[in-house]
Amino acid sequence: MRGPAARRRHRLGVLLGVLLAVVVSLALGATAGSAADPLARAITPAAKAAPAGKDGFSTTKTLTRTFAEADGQTTTVASYDVTVRADRTQNLRGRQRVRITWSGAQPSGGRASNPYGENGLAQEYPVVVMQCRGRDGAGVPAARQLRPETCWTASVAQRSQVLRSDGEALWRVDRFEDEADRERVSGIDPFPAEQCADADVESYSTHLTEFAAAGGTVFPACDSESMPPEAAVGAAFPPAEVAAYTDENGAGSVKFEVRSDVENESLGCSHTVECSIVVVPIVGLSCDTPSTPISIADRACRKLGRFAPGSSNFANEGVDQAVSPALWWSESNWRNRFSIPITFGLPPDTCDVLDTRPPTGFYGSELLAQAALQWSPAYCLDTKRFKFQLNQMPDEAGWNLMTSGEGPAAVVSSEHTALAGQPIGYAPTAVTGFAVGYVIDRPENGGEYTQLKLTPRLLAKLLTQSYVGSDLGRGHPGMAGNPVSILNDPEFVELNPGLSRIDQEAGATLLSLSTSADVVEQLTSYIAQNREASAFVAGKADPWGMVVNPSYRKIELPRAEWPLLDTYVPQTQNSCRQANPAVYFNQLAAPVTTLRKIAEALLDSHPNVQTRCDYDASTQQYKVGRIDRQSFGARFLLGIVSLGDAERYGLRAAALQTKPGRFVPPTAQSLANAVDLTTQKRTRLPFVLDQADVARSGGAYPGTMVVYTAAKLSGLDAETAGHLAQFVRVSTTEGQRPGSGNGELPAGFLPIRDTGPTAKLLDAADDVADAIEAQRPPKTSPPAGPGGGDGGPDSSDGGTTPPGDLTPPGRSTPDTTPPTGAPTQDPVLTASPTAATTTVDSGIAGRLLPGLLALGLLAGVYSAASRFFVRVPRRPEAGGR
Amino acid sequence: MISSAVTMVALVCLWTVLQLLVLGGLSHDRAQQFLYGEFRQQLAGSVAPVGPVVPVGDPVALMRIPAIGMEQVVVEGTASGDLLVGPGHRRDTVLPGQQGVSLVYGRGGTYGAPFGDITELVEGDVIVVVSGQGETRYSVTGVRRSGDPVPLPPVEGEGRLTLVTAEGSGRLAGLTADTTVFVDASSPDAFPAPPGRPTAVPESEQAMASDPGALPLLALCLALLVALTLAVVAARERWSLTVVWIVASPLAIAAAWLTTDTVMRLLPNLI
Repeated sequence: MRGPAARRRHRLGVLLGVLLAVVVSLALGATAGSAADPLARAITPAAKAAPAGKDGFSTTKTLTRTFAEADGQTTTVASYDVTVRADRTQNLRGRQRVRITWSGAQPSGGRASNPYGENGLAQEYPVVVMQCRGRDGAGVPAARQLRPETCWTASVAQRSQVLRSDGEALWRVDRFEDEADRERVSGIDPFPAEQCADADVESYSTHLTEFAAAGGTVFPACDSESMPPEAAVGAAFPPAEVAAYTDENGAGSVKFEVRSDVENESLGCSHTVECSIVVVPIVGLSCDTPSTPISIADRACRKLGRFAPGSSNFANEGVDQAVSPALWWSESNWRNRFSIPITFGLPPDTCDVLDTRPPTGFYGSELLAQAALQWSPAYCLDTKRFKFQLNQMPDEAGWNLMTSGEGPAAVVSSEHTALAGQPIGYAPTAVTGFAVGYVIDRPENGGEYTQLKLTPRLLAKLLTQSYVGSDLGRGHPGMAGNPVSILNDPEFVELNPGLSRIDQEAGATLLSLSTSADVVEQLTSYIAQNREASAFVAGKADPWGMVVNPSYRKIELPRAEWPLLDTYVPQTQNSCRQANPAVYFNQLAAPVTTLRKIAEALLDSHPNVQTRCDYDASTQQYKVGRIDRQSFGARFLLGIVSLGDAERYGLRAAALQTKPGRFVPPTAQSLANAVDLTTQKRTRLPFVLDQADVARSGGAYPGTMVVYTAAKLSGLDAETAGHLAQFVRVSTTEGQRPGSGNGELPAGFLPIRDTGPTAKLLDAADDVADAIEAQRPPKTSPPAGPGGGDGGPDSSDGGTTPPGDLTPPGRSTPDTTPPTGAPTQDPVLTASPTAATTTVDSGIAGRLLPGLLALGLLAGVYSAASRFFVRVPRRPEAGGR
Repeated sequence: MISSAVTMVALVCLWTVLQLLVLGGLSHDRAQQFLYGEFRQQLAGSVAPVGPVVPVGDPVALMRIPAIGMEQVVVEGTASGDLLVGPGHRRDTVLPGQQGVSLVYGRGGTYGAPFGDITELVEGDVIVVVSGQGETRYSVTGVRRSGDPVPLPPVEGEGRLTLVTAEGSGRLAGLTADTTVFVDASSPDAFPAPPGRPTAVPESEQAMASDPGALPLLALCLALLVALTLAVVAARERWSLTVVWIVASPLAIAAAWLTTDTVMRLLPNLI
């Protein structure tokens, strides 16, 4: 056990805790005294991100494996100069993926098909990458020190060794391990005898690496019951920690997904709680002097692995524990760690928590989401600025909110229909776009496929649901000859050779949006522009005989909303499907409402295909649902994502065909090329990217989209107009500095600069910002309707004319605007509302009911009264009788 | 004698008020039920009218305004008599749901007052119109009263729906609906409208107009009432009072109802 050491640490911890509390209370008092908004002040310095140049990490260490021999000598078995690099470490967000690469490590053997979580344990010489709370370093106080107990693992087997026989208890012969940890039962001190009674059995060894949660709770980790809640079976997020492979040259890489306290509260990393990514290249345990006679543990500790470098271990066979990742916490492994300090950005709700001012809402495009995440604190934490808030919704919905006056500004990326007489300016705000994101594994444990190429026709095939998906779809009329999925489409195979040909339902679909979106409009216009693709949609078979799904034949392109048109319900013997008859292709396509959901589906390689059919024994009913996450090594998933999400979450983006044989991936250059091609019809309107120009130029990315802030140029109040103008100006200047800090432009966006192809966007933004701020008051003088004034009614009766009506059918002047048809007036920006409404009054209408009522009541009272007075004298007689 | 005459006056006045405010609502609801069924059948059979000329009185659209909980079948024609059964579509405008400006008139105070609450609509409220061509969602752009600016003609592809009714003012606002009021709503993607609409409507179908064409019918109705009176007098000679009451009262009520409906046609169409 960690007896004396732990106790020492404990006492030190208490001392430091007290000190820290004193310092913090002093600091808080001081800030509260000096600043009006202490929290905001306290957070701003932390928010000041490290300059972009400092992002990233690279360190080299020499790692050795040594055996202490019986004669007192020490043999160095192996020595490696390992270099570990990380591409970004600053202002990370939850679920962001950091690319970690290394070189000089021992090549791995016995690779598992899925190296994540406990699936990665049966491997030899992997590189363990995990996220831990705390920092390494001499100057770091003990409470914030990184230790195995603050490192996250999603399963018990990854952190504790429970009831191991002598031959497996290799940490007890680790030559660097503490004396206390060589006891039969070690790790947590004191041993939680009550909670972990099963873990302490005579003649078996146990080492518990407890998990110390951020809140102070300690989870002993002796079984799955005593693990933190986020490590429960079927937790919301798949394990992120990985035992990654090193290739035969000693190099390797992994995209490691970091978790913030939003995703993992027990781990608790946030902008205030420092964390690290810990990389432990497993080079094998260093063994202590063997006992005499040499014990089984001593012998096992000196093993060098049974799998050859580069080999796979699909059968999940046992491995030599001395070189396995299971003992990453044992001192001779742990001392080889590289700890990469990372910082987290402000949480998404920062502005809501710290700024009580009412927000100025921007409504619309999700393309701006990642930029807005970094921009909004730069507004709300600055008292000179306003509180910026992006509300993501379909472009059209945001637009309607703006035009109807409910939202100050819309965020869109194409021109939308304005109401008549409502001048609207489009201010370019960011250059980004969409991508066809993918996660595809090569067969035979060959790693991820990184070179996906797609043509417009392949996208058309996916969108029109022209792959049959599985045997269930084969009966669809008119598609008998079509491939089951894109994996067996000869066109796809020709472009992307070397991929698995095993069909999957997820390979028959492209996860897309169900709502109306400018992204869908641009995607479909890219398809419509291509001759082969539009011929395919029109019904012409491709060279391999594949035809379009008849339900989508001749569908009109481009379009902002992609409909689900298929109606085919398969006839099967499957009782679950019989109980839940559904349109099969719609279950395959299952579009979602936001791009973020698609990004997460790709991140988790969890297709949104809804064909899983379960029997629920408790209700005795069949139910359909989403299929399982794809197994690592056989993943195939395509989806439309925004470039911002793709960069944030480290998703791969397909290269799209522009010319025959030319495939353009989204890069800064290809985005700039596309911006160069855009043209503006009139000032203050959007810049339009004609896909025909993209096809001609060849080097421009077809998914490039400029995101605009659209706002009314008249009728807004001065304060809102000032906010909007400020946003346009700030976002196109300060907001275009690339970086991960507050107010900076995240990756996935092309900075708008005053030189180069984006210069025209900057000019347009400045112009619109001025126009928004000016807010020309609506002109009131000239009535638009010809024929003069309120339209002379031709009726004789003053109460029967509709001069207030919009249509002038009864007007005497024959040249009035027809009520329907194209308006003769161009709704130019300067147009102002027309003449004032005139209403029709009707005296009779106003007096009728009150008059009738009054007369009726009067007459009623009179008649009742007269009867009463006539009868009254008779009453006494009647009473006398 | 005077007392009887006054009683008659009271009866006539109060009956008219009762019919306008209460009984008319019943007949309006019943008519809507039938129209709904008819229009539903037409929609299902894809034979719902799309214009340009629709027989007067036929259902042309189903209009829903969730904000005020209104659902009405719109009929063709805006004469006072047409509006007894529900909101009416003005015949020289495009049908609701089509590109261009569509005018729909509705009563604001009597006969169920289908448009009694539309002035409570605010910008952004949704009006859903289901017509033979499909569903169109309008977003209310504002309520217009005297002096408010008239919006410009709609742009290409835009559909605008203008609801017209009458509203009163003051303490008896509900009973004194005497001024027209307009509620504009706009939809960016309306359906195309076929050409060939009438270019004008008769005077009786304009706002706040009455329909003098009902006068001959009114004469017939009054004659019917007179005949009924004579028949009652004659019957009183032969039958007992009870029998006469039983036989005559339903006839009298029916005749009175019919007559009042006819009188209604002589009154402004939006009240």
